[in-house]
Amino acid sequence: MIAFVVSRGLAARRFMMEVILLGMILVIALVTPHFLSVENLLNILQNISLQGVIAFGMTMVIVAGEIDLSVSSTVAVSGVVTALVTGKLAKAGILPKESAVLVGMAAAIALAAVVGLVNGIARVRFKIPTFIATLAMMNVVYGIAGTLTKGFPITTLPIWFNHLGAGHLFNIIPVPAMILLVVFLLVYGLMTDTTFGRAIYAVGGNEESARLSGINVGLVKVVVMVLVQILAAVGGILVSSQVMSGSHTFGKGYELNVIAAVIIGGTSLNGGSGKPWGTLVGLIFLGVIINAMILLDVSEFIQYVVKGAIILFAVLLNSIQQTRR
Amino acid sequence: MNVIEAHGVRKQYPGTLALKGLTLQFESGKVHALIGKNGSGKSTLVKILSRAIDPTQGKVFLNGEDVSSCTPAEAFRRGIATVYQELSLIQDLSVAENIFMGRLPKKGIRIDWELTYRRAEELIRSMNVEVSPRARIAELSVWQCQIVEILKAMSYHPKVLLLDEPTSSLAVAEARRLFDFIRELTKRDVIVIFISHRLHELWEVADTCTVLRDGELIGTVTMKDASYNDVLRMMFGEVELKVREGRKTVSDEVVLEVKGLTRGKKFHGIDLQLHKGEVLGIAGMLGSGRTELLRAIFGADRFDAGEIRIGGRKIRSPSPRMMKRAGVALAPEDRKKDGLNHIMSVNDNLTLSALERIAPRFLWIDRMRESSLVARQIVDLAIKVSDKNMPVSSLSGGNQQKVVVGKWLNAEPRVMFFDEPSRGIDVHAKQQIFQIIRQQADRGISSIMISSELEELLDVCDRILIMRNGALVGEHRSDELGAEELYLQCMGGTAT
Repeated sequence: MIAFVVSRGLAARRFMMEVILLGMILVIALVTPHFLSVENLLNILQNISLQGVIAFGMTMVIVAGEIDLSVSSTVAVSGVVTALVTGKLAKAGILPKESAVLVGMAAAIALAAVVGLVNGIARVRFKIPTFIATLAMMNVVYGIAGTLTKGFPITTLPIWFNHLGAGHLFNIIPVPAMILLVVFLLVYGLMTDTTFGRAIYAVGGNEESARLSGINVGLVKVVVMVLVQILAAVGGILVSSQVMSGSHTFGKGYELNVIAAVIIGGTSLNGGSGKPWGTLVGLIFLGVIINAMILLDVSEFIQYVVKGAIILFAVLLNSIQQTRR
Repeated sequence: MNVIEAHGVRKQYPGTLALKGLTLQFESGKVHALIGKNGSGKSTLVKILSRAIDPTQGKVFLNGEDVSSCTPAEAFRRGIATVYQELSLIQDLSVAENIFMGRLPKKGIRIDWELTYRRAEELIRSMNVEVSPRARIAELSVWQCQIVEILKAMSYHPKVLLLDEPTSSLAVAEARRLFDFIRELTKRDVIVIFISHRLHELWEVADTCTVLRDGELIGTVTMKDASYNDVLRMMFGEVELKVREGRKTVSDEVVLEVKGLTRGKKFHGIDLQLHKGEVLGIAGMLGSGRTELLRAIFGADRFDAGEIRIGGRKIRSPSPRMMKRAGVALAPEDRKKDGLNHIMSVNDNLTLSALERIAPRFLWIDRMRESSLVARQIVDLAIKVSDKNMPVSSLSGGNQQKVVVGKWLNAEPRVMFFDEPSRGIDVHAKQQIFQIIRQQADRGISSIMISSELEELLDVCDRILIMRNGALVGEHRSDELGAEELYLQCMGGTAT
C-alpha cells in the first residue's frame, strides 16, 4: 500500500527526492536548532565530499550497467601508496617531502587506474560479472594495502598535504567540497554533453543495440571502470590528507555508502538511466541523515540499521518504477 | 450455434474516441477475420470482447446473455478465450504440462502423469494435429507453439476463440500449416475471430472479413466474393496501392562482394555481389540461414571462412563498428531487442549510430548539428512524434521502425541491410518503409532486404536470391517470376 502510494507520487513528481530532502531538512532543523548553523552545514559538506567524489564515478559505472565494489580498498591503498612513496623518496634524499608527495599521489592514481583496467578487462574480455570481479579485487587490493603498511599507519606526509582534506578556502569553504564540486561538474559535462556520455547510457540501456549501432561497448565499459577507480584514488588521497597518514583500514564500507547515494539519487541498478544531479541529492540526503543522527545522539549501531533501511527502501522504489514502466 | 454480439460499443480514451459505436456479430462455425490498420480500433474491440477493458458505452452479448460486466476471468469461464501474440508457454515444460498448467490431474498429492499425457493425446488427436504431448516446448518451432497455445485454449471448450495475430512471427509455409489447423476448428461449435496484419493470408484462412477504420465499422465481406484491392480499399479508403515506378537500370559498380562465406551449419559457400543503387532481396523460409548470413556480413556474428569486400577493399575480422565505418548499416530483425534503446528518447536513438557526426570536436556534442540530423530524419521519414524527447517506446511499431532506419541514414551508409523491415507494422507504414528503401536506392544507396512475405520482395527488390538450407540456390530478376513460384523455390519444390 505504502509502496503503491509512493510509486504514484514518484510517477507524478520528478523532483520527489528533492522535495523529501527539503522536508527532512525542515523537520531536523526544528528538532535540533544547531543543525542549520553554518558550521554544521559545512561540516556535512566536508563529510560527504570524500565519498561523494567516488559516487560520481560510480554513477557512470552503474548507468553503464556495471558495479565496482573494490573502491573501498582503493581508498585505503591510495593513501598508503601516497604516504609510502613520499617517505621513500624523502628518505633516499631524492626529493623533499613537500614535493615528493606529488609523486606519491600520481603513483596512487596510476595504481588505481591499473586496478580499474583489470576490472574492466575482466568484464569485457573474459565476461566475468563486475559484481564478482570487483568483489575479488576488493580483497586483493586490501591485502596489498595491508602488506605495504605491515599493519601500521604510515605518517611520512608533509604539513601542506593536510590542506587538501582539511583545509578551507577563504577560511570557510572546505577544500574537499570544492573538489567535489569540480568532479560533479566534470562528470555532469561528460555524461550530458559528450558522445562518450551518450554511449554510457546506450551501453547500459541495451548493450546489444549499442553494439549493433557500432558503439565500442568494451571501450566504454573499461573507461568507466578506470574512471571510478581514479576517483576512488582521489577520495583515498583526501582521506589520508585529513588523517595525515596512510592505512589499510581506511575506506572500510565506502562502497556501500557510495552505491547507496547513487541509488537514492534515482539511478537504476539495471543500467541505462540515472543522473549526476540525482547522485548529488542522494549524497546530501545521506549526509544530512547521518549528521542528524549524530546530533541527536543516536547510537552508532542504530545508525547502521537506518542506513541499511534507507538503501533497501531506495532499491524498492527503484524496482517499483521499473515494473511500472 | 454460438453468437457473440457487440451493440453500440463506444470506447473513449483520454483525447481519442477509439470506437465510435460499433454494432456487429460473429457466429460459430466460421473463421472471421478482423482487420484494420493501426489505430483503427481493432485491438480495442478485441479487448472489449475478451473483457480486458470496459466499453464506455454499449453492451456485449454471448448467446443473448449480457456479458458486458464480466471480469476477464468470468468471461473466460463463460467461454471467451483469447490467444495473444506473445506466447505464454513455458519453454522447459512438455506440451501436455503446458496445456494443463494449473490443473494437472492428481493422484492424491502426486501428479497423475499417465492421465495428463493421455488427456493431452486425446485432445491432440481430436484436433487432427501432430504434436507429441511429451515434447518440450523449446524443441518445437514457432508455429507448433501457436498450435499448442490454441490447443490449450480449446481444452477449456470455449465458445469464442480470439486469435491475436497468430501468424506475425511465422514464415508463409508455417502459417499455412497453422491455417489448416484453424480451418479444422470450424467443424466445432466455436466462433473463431482472427486478427491479422497480413492481408494475403486472409483468403486462405477466413470465411468472412470485417474491416474497421478510424473506430468505425466499414463493413463485413465474405472472402470468396472479395478481391485483395476491395479489402485494401475498405481499410484505407481511396488510396492507391503504391506500385513501383519503372525500374531503372542498376549500375555495374559492385559495392559489396561476398565470397565463400561459411558458418558451420548455418550457411555455407555464400557468394554474392551487390551493385550500387540496387535493392537485393534474399528469399527463404525461416531457418534458411538468411538472418544469420546478414548478421555475419555486418560483423554482428562470427563466420568460419570466406571474405567480404566493400568497394573492393577486403574487410578483415568485421565488427559492427568497423562495418559502420565502411558504410554498412543493419536494421535488425528484432527491433525491440536489437534495434532500439527503449530507455532513450527518439532524439537520442536517432543519433546513436552517428555519434561521431554530432561531435565534430572530439566527444563534445554539437547541439545544432544534432538537432539538424534528428529533424531531417523526422521530416524525411515522416516519423509521427509530437516531441523528439519522448521515449522511443511511446511510438507505434511503424514509427519505431522508421527511427531504426533514420538512425542509420544519419550514419550516411552506402549499403543498408533490412531484416524483416515490415514485421509487426501496419500496411500503410509498410508501404512507407518500402518507399524509403526505393528512394535510398535512387540516391545510390544499395540495400539487401529479407522478408518472410515474398510478395514484398517482388514489390521492392530489383533482384532476388533464393536461400535454402544455408545455401544460395537461385537468382531471379524480380519481374521474372510471381509469388507462387518464388514460394515453391524457397520451399524446395519445383513448379507444377
